[in-house]
Amino acid sequence: MSRINDYTINELMVVATSRELRDGELGFIGVGTDGRAFTLAVGIPMVAARLAQCTHAPNFTIFWNNLLSPDLSQIPPKLTQNYLTRWPAAYQPVCSADKNGMLARGEFDVSFDSAPQIDKYGNLNITAIGDYKRPKVRLVGCLAQTDHFALVKRPIIITDLKKRTFVEKVDFITSVGYLDGGDSRVKAGLKPYGPWKVITDKCVFNFDNPEKMMQIESLHPGVTLEEVLDNMNFKPMIPESIPETKIPTDEELKLIREVIDPNKILLRA
Amino acid sequence: MKSKLTDLKTAAKLVTSGSSIAFGGSIIRRQPVAFARELIRNGVKDLTIYGYPCGLATDMLAGVGAVKRIEAVYTGLFEYGMAYNIRRGIESGQIEMIDVPEVAQCARFQAAEMGVPFLPTRDLLATGVAQYNPDMFKEITCPYTGEKMHLVPAINADFTVLHGYYGDEYGNVQWPEHRDADDLDFIMAKAAKRLIVTVEKIIPHSEVLKNPNRTFIPHHKVEAIVELPFGVHPAQCDSFYDEDVEHLMYYQECAKDPDRWLNEYAQKYIYGVKTHEEYLDVATTPSRLAKLIIR
Repeated sequence: MSRINDYTINELMVVATSRELRDGELGFIGVGTDGRAFTLAVGIPMVAARLAQCTHAPNFTIFWNNLLSPDLSQIPPKLTQNYLTRWPAAYQPVCSADKNGMLARGEFDVSFDSAPQIDKYGNLNITAIGDYKRPKVRLVGCLAQTDHFALVKRPIIITDLKKRTFVEKVDFITSVGYLDGGDSRVKAGLKPYGPWKVITDKCVFNFDNPEKMMQIESLHPGVTLEEVLDNMNFKPMIPESIPETKIPTDEELKLIREVIDPNKILLRA
Repeated sequence: MKSKLTDLKTAAKLVTSGSSIAFGGSIIRRQPVAFARELIRNGVKDLTIYGYPCGLATDMLAGVGAVKRIEAVYTGLFEYGMAYNIRRGIESGQIEMIDVPEVAQCARFQAAEMGVPFLPTRDLLATGVAQYNPDMFKEITCPYTGEKMHLVPAINADFTVLHGYYGDEYGNVQWPEHRDADDLDFIMAKAAKRLIVTVEKIIPHSEVLKNPNRTFIPHHKVEAIVELPFGVHPAQCDSFYDEDVEHLMYYQECAKDPDRWLNEYAQKYIYGVKTHEEYLDVATTPSRLAKLIIR
């Protein structure tokens, strides 16, 4: 990743994510695939959660994969299946139905989600590009992302800002954000929660407006509005004045580099 | 109790073309891979696969055109990337894919476990999943609370195939001390109509008697149990052996090209061998297997 001054974009994304996490909350982190997708789905959320625990939210609790409160002070050297099995943790339910029950009962406050397609109302697509029945590109399915968006209070979207990702309308609604905007989500019978923030490599978005449309919250230092718009297929809402995303403090950088992820297992791509 | 102990060939012959199968495990962990290879050698076709996350076993069957329909939460091979055979099958229209999110798919197995035809869930409202499958997932208004939700149908597969750890000849299958439980095997076993289990090791019944609370599949549910050491290679069996990284990378390299997968990979590792033992001889060496074993 490119560096701005002395922090990396990944570190800035970690800090922006971490600041959204509150003491006493329960967050869900899933399992990513390879490369950049892993960093977005697992790496950044994991480091952000641990950073929150080390700073303002000591009682932020993580459910990762099928483990409640995994010991994040022991990041394994690689992540083949057996390292996941043996990761020290407080609780591993006897089967995945326990986690589904936790989701269905609304026990999760935060989740971290990423997608190859996201639209202006925060709907996500991880299922298929093109016609669903005869897709141009088959993606992975639904996993529990659909459940996060229906049942978790504040899903946080973490993804890179790219024209092909930020589209006017997703080809398939895997996960319902604010649907068609306004109160359409609630009218469909869903809880009024919806996606909380979209944290990208260039800026942060929120949906804090009655239309429930994606709106620029802050630009990362050195990033222009034009650059953001050039990387999107729709025009987001733009406030009159746009603040800069807060940069990591020296203490946060020290924690990330020396304590949380010294071997760059989590922020590797 | 009656002995259910049999061999892979006899157990796999139970499954005929057109059957529906629920596969246990998850992605590249404890998927019944050796069983899938045997099904391929038997030439069964037109299978419907029910899964939680689908992975290696389903991808192999898809690679020989044996899969007609998949209902699952995920198709892929985790950090090894897309499940290319499944992907091609869906993109070409050969495989009908029903995508279902985790809470809903879990509820479908739970409904079967409870002996009811459906359960309600809240995760399908306004989704593409509900939009494309209105006859399967029915939106209702809850008669008690007035909330909108969906009914999801029970999964009553013709066969359920799971890979376990230790089991006795009667079909009592036990958990090891360290286990990765991010799957629905525990529920799938109870929900099964005809349950086939492959295990790493057959143990004496006297060992089972010492720890009945470790039995997660009880004998009365099991139709056939097969001892199959390294029965999910190249996937992982938690507590026994890790995934075979080198083999899985080679699998994926071949699977990018359908002809190469069929003519090179499947010829060598599936059609070119007659038994699971022969497969292990061709696919690995004792020293390579030793490196995968978890101590």
